[in-house]
Amino acid sequence: MLDGVEILTTSGIVLWRRHYAPIPRSVVNSLVADVFIEDRRLQTGDTQQPPTSYRKDKYTLKWTRAKDVGLVFVAVYQSLLHLSWVDTLLTAVKTLFLKEYAPELAKPHLTKLDPARFDPTFDALVRKLDTGSTRRPSVPDSEGPGELTPPSSSASATEEAVDEPPPPPPPQPLFRKPTAPASQRDDTSTDATPVPTPDTSRPSTPASHLLTAKSGPGKASRRARKAQQSFGNSSAPASSGDESATGRAQAGKTGTAKAKRRWDADGFAVEGEEEVLDYSTAGATPSQADNAAGQREAADVPAVDSAQMGTRTPKGHFILKDLDDDISALLANPPHQQNHPPTQTTPSDPTLLTTATTKLTSLFQNILGNKSLTATDLRLPLAQMRTHLLAKNVAREAADRLCAAVEEDLLNRKTASFTTVDATLRQAMSSALTKILTPSSSLDLLRDVTATTTTTTGAGARPRPYVISIVGVNGVGKSTNLSKLAYFLLQNGFRVLVVAGDTFRAGAVEQLRVHVGNLSALARRGGGGSISLFERGYGKDAAAVAREAVGFAAGGTTTTANAGGGAGGVGLLFDVVLIDTAGRRHNDARLMGSLAKFSQWAHPDKVFMVGEALVGTDSVAQARNFAKEFVDGTGRLRNNGIGMDGFIISKCDTVGDMVGTLVSMVHATGIPVVFLGVGQHYGDLRGLNVGWAVERLMR
Amino acid sequence: MAGSDTPNDWLTWAFSPTISAILVTLVVSLCLPVLIHYYLYRKASAKVLPTVLLIGPSGAGKTTLLTLFANGTPSATHTSQEPQTALCQLPSTTSSHEDRYRSEHDTSSRSQPKFLLVDTPGHGKLRHHALSSLTSPTALKGLVFVVDSAAVSSAAGLTETAEYLHDVLLLLQKRHTQSKTSRDPQAIPVLIAANKQDVFTSLPASLVKSKLEQEIAKARQTRSKGLLDSGIGMEDDGGDDEESNWLGQYGAKEFKFAQMEEHGVEVKVIGGNVRGEGEEKGRVEEWWAWIGENL
Repeated sequence: MLDGVEILTTSGIVLWRRHYAPIPRSVVNSLVADVFIEDRRLQTGDTQQPPTSYRKDKYTLKWTRAKDVGLVFVAVYQSLLHLSWVDTLLTAVKTLFLKEYAPELAKPHLTKLDPARFDPTFDALVRKLDTGSTRRPSVPDSEGPGELTPPSSSASATEEAVDEPPPPPPPQPLFRKPTAPASQRDDTSTDATPVPTPDTSRPSTPASHLLTAKSGPGKASRRARKAQQSFGNSSAPASSGDESATGRAQAGKTGTAKAKRRWDADGFAVEGEEEVLDYSTAGATPSQADNAAGQREAADVPAVDSAQMGTRTPKGHFILKDLDDDISALLANPPHQQNHPPTQTTPSDPTLLTTATTKLTSLFQNILGNKSLTATDLRLPLAQMRTHLLAKNVAREAADRLCAAVEEDLLNRKTASFTTVDATLRQAMSSALTKILTPSSSLDLLRDVTATTTTTTGAGARPRPYVISIVGVNGVGKSTNLSKLAYFLLQNGFRVLVVAGDTFRAGAVEQLRVHVGNLSALARRGGGGSISLFERGYGKDAAAVAREAVGFAAGGTTTTANAGGGAGGVGLLFDVVLIDTAGRRHNDARLMGSLAKFSQWAHPDKVFMVGEALVGTDSVAQARNFAKEFVDGTGRLRNNGIGMDGFIISKCDTVGDMVGTLVSMVHATGIPVVFLGVGQHYGDLRGLNVGWAVERLMR
Repeated sequence: MAGSDTPNDWLTWAFSPTISAILVTLVVSLCLPVLIHYYLYRKASAKVLPTVLLIGPSGAGKTTLLTLFANGTPSATHTSQEPQTALCQLPSTTSSHEDRYRSEHDTSSRSQPKFLLVDTPGHGKLRHHALSSLTSPTALKGLVFVVDSAAVSSAAGLTETAEYLHDVLLLLQKRHTQSKTSRDPQAIPVLIAANKQDVFTSLPASLVKSKLEQEIAKARQTRSKGLLDSGIGMEDDGGDDEESNWLGQYGAKEFKFAQMEEHGVEVKVIGGNVRGEGEEKGRVEEWWAWIGENL
C-alpha cells in the first residue's frame, strides 16, 4: 500500500502532498540529501545507471523529476511490499500535474499552489492503477462478487475531497443484473416474508432455481445449490404448475404435513427455508415480479445512464468518464514518447546557401548567447571536455559520469547573453566539480581531538585518546604522511603515540623509529607536545597490537599509574594514537578481510586512506574496495554508511596540474579529501582548497 | 498633376507660418519624447528592491520562514537544493524605517515597503550559493542567520552552527577590511534568529548568544592553528597574514559579537518560532520589526 506521495520544488517547498499513513520527515529529507545532493551510489554496485529507488529505515522511495520547472515527485511505500505500479503512477502524476498547473509554474518565485485542484485527478489515478491486491482494508468492498465501491464510502481519514457524487441507491438493481443474473432480490418480491430476509448480497433464493437451472455463469452459491436440492428432493418437480407448489407451500405453512428436514451435501440441516424460499403464492412469477418491481423503481427515480457518466472496468469499478479518458490515454502511450522534444526542422536537401546561412546564424547565435541548447549542440564540446578531463588524470568512469551530469543539467537551457556554448559548459563543469569536491561537513581535526580528550560530560563521559589509523595500498606514503600528521599535532601541543601496526614489511618498525626520533627532537625545540613509539616487533596480529596500544594510551595498564604532563585529559597517557598499517593490494581478499577485524578491535575515530596522485584508473577500484571493508559490529559501514573518513592524497607535488585523482576517488566513494601531501618534509601537509583544485583541473 | 500636388501642398503648409502648423509642431515636439520614454521604459522595473538573505545550517527553518513571510502561513518543507527568492511585504502592524519621521497618530494609509527574501540551501555541499551571494554586489540590506535553538543545545549542532556563522562573519569582515575603494561598502547588519523557541529543549536567545560566542572563539582558535590551505599563493595580493583571518579583535581571548561592530557588522540575537505548537501561530513579530528597521 502506498504510504504517501509528495510533490516538492527543488528549493524544498512541498507544493502538494497526500499521506495515507504518517511518514516521518526525515525519510524524504534523507532522500534529498543522499541522492540528489550527495549522489551516493554505494548501495547499487553498478554506477552506470542512475538509481531508481532509495531505501531508508523500512520505507522505499521512488521518484521522478521535472528539471525544467524544478519539481520532484516522490512516492513512499513500505519496503516489504513490492508495488510495481508506482513508476507508472509517478509518470502519470508528473504529466497531469504539469498540465494542470502550467500557468502557475510558468511564473517565477513560486511558493504556493492551490492543492485541491489536483486531488480528484490523483484519486482517480490511484484507483485505476492500484490493482486491488494491495487495496487498503478501510475501503469497504465486501459487498459481494459485484464489487461496487461507491466513492463516498471509500474516503479514508485524510481524504477531504469527495469528488464524485455517490450514485443514488435505486440504480443498484440496474447494476446488479448484468453481474449476477442468478441473484434474486428479496425485497422486490411482493410476498417477501420479512423475518428471515437474507442480505441483498446473498445471491440466491430457491425460487430462482428456475433461473439457476438454465443460466449458470458458474456462480451457483450454496444457497442456490441447497435450493436446487431442496426442490429436487421434493415430490413436485420445479416445472410443475404453481398450484401444486402453492398447495405444497401452504400445506407446509399450515403445518398439517410433517416438516421435512432437508439435508445438504455438507451434512448440515437446512432449516427454516420453506417460508423464505417460497415465492410462488404471489401469482406472479418471480421474474415478472422482479421486472415489475424494477420498472416501478425505475419509474420513481429518473434513470441514470451509467454509460454516459463513465465506463466500467473489467473488475467492476465504475469510473467517471472525463478523468478516465485522460488517464487511460496517458497510460496507453507512455509520456516519454509524448515528451519527445520536437526535432529541429532540418532542410531536406541542404544547398550551399542554406548550409552557409545556417552556419553563420549558428555562429552568431553562439556568440550572442540566448541560444537554447540541444543534444547536438552539446555533443562536440562535451567530447572535448571529456578528453580534457581524461588528460588531467581523471578516471574514465568519473569523467563519463561528470559529463553525463552536466549534459543532463544543460539540456534545453538557454545560454546567458554574450556567452558561448563553450563558456557555459565550462561554467557548468566547474560547478559540478566544486559540488563533488566540497565535503558535506568540513573536518576540524584539532577541534575533534580536543573535544574527545577533554570531554567529561555527555554520553562518552570518560576522556579517551583519539585514534587515527592510516590505510592504503603498498608504497603510497602511509608512514611518511603519518609522520607529517604527527608533526602537525605536535606543533599544537598534543601527546602523540605512534603505533607500528605494520608487522609484515621488513624495516617498517625501524622506519617509524627514525621518524619518531626526528619528531621528538623537533618537539623539544618548540611546540610542547611529546611523541613516542609503540611496537611489538614483527609477525604479530596487527589488530591485537592496535588494541593493546589504545589501552596503553588510555593509561589502563597497571604499570603506568602516573599521568603524563601536558595538555589533555587527566589520566590519559597520550592524546592521539596514530596507527600505521601494512600496505595491501586492494584485490587481495585475505588481506582486505583483516581490515574489518582491525576496525572492530581498535575502534578508530578516524580512518584515512592514503592514495597517491600519480595513480590512474586504479584509484577508483582501490577506493571502493577499501571503503567497503570497514564494517562495524552490526554490519553497517562506519561513518554513516560511507566507510572511511577521508582521503589523504600524497605526492601532489609530482603531478603538477594533473590532480584528477582527487575527483576519481571522491566520485567512487563519496568520501571527501581532507589532506594533500606536497613533499617529503614534515611540514609538507596541506588542507584541500576546492577552488584551487577546480582551477587546476579546468586550466 | 494631382499626384505631386498634394505632397507639395502639405509641405508648403508645414513650412508656412500659420497658427495651425505652429500648434501641430508644438504638440509633436512635446509629446514625442514622452511617448518614446514610455515605450522604452515599459518593461523596466521601477526601482531595485532591497534584498534580505536567509542563511543557516540545514534544518534550521529557513525555507519555512520564507513561506511564512511570503504567504502568511508556513507550509511543509524539506531540504532545499537550490536558492529561492520570494517577494514579501512588511505586514501593516510593523513600522518600517521610512516611518521614523512620521507621527504615531498619523492615520494616512501608506503602502508598506516590499523586499526580496532570498533563501539559500544549508547543506554543506551547497553553501557556495549563500557565500557567493554575500560577495556579489546586490542591494543586500540585511542578513538573517537562522539557528535551530534546540540543535544548539547539543555539541554537534552547536559546532556546525558556530563554524558556519564564523565563516559568514569572516567573509563580511574581509569585505569590509579589504575593500579596494576608499569608501567603505555598505554595512550589512546581521540578525541571528533563534528559531524553534516553542520546542521543549530549546535554549533562550541569550543563552544561544553566549554559546555561539564561545564556540566561535574556539573555532577561530583552531582555524588559526590549522594547516595551511593548498591554495596558498593563489591570490596575488600578498599572503593573508594571521590578522586578516582572525575574526573580531585580534588576539582577544574571548569573542563577543560587539567586536564585530568595528567592521561595520551589527549583530543582534532575537528569538522566535516560525511554527507554533498545535493551533498557535508563530511569533515572528520581532523579526519583522528588525527587517523593517533595516530596510
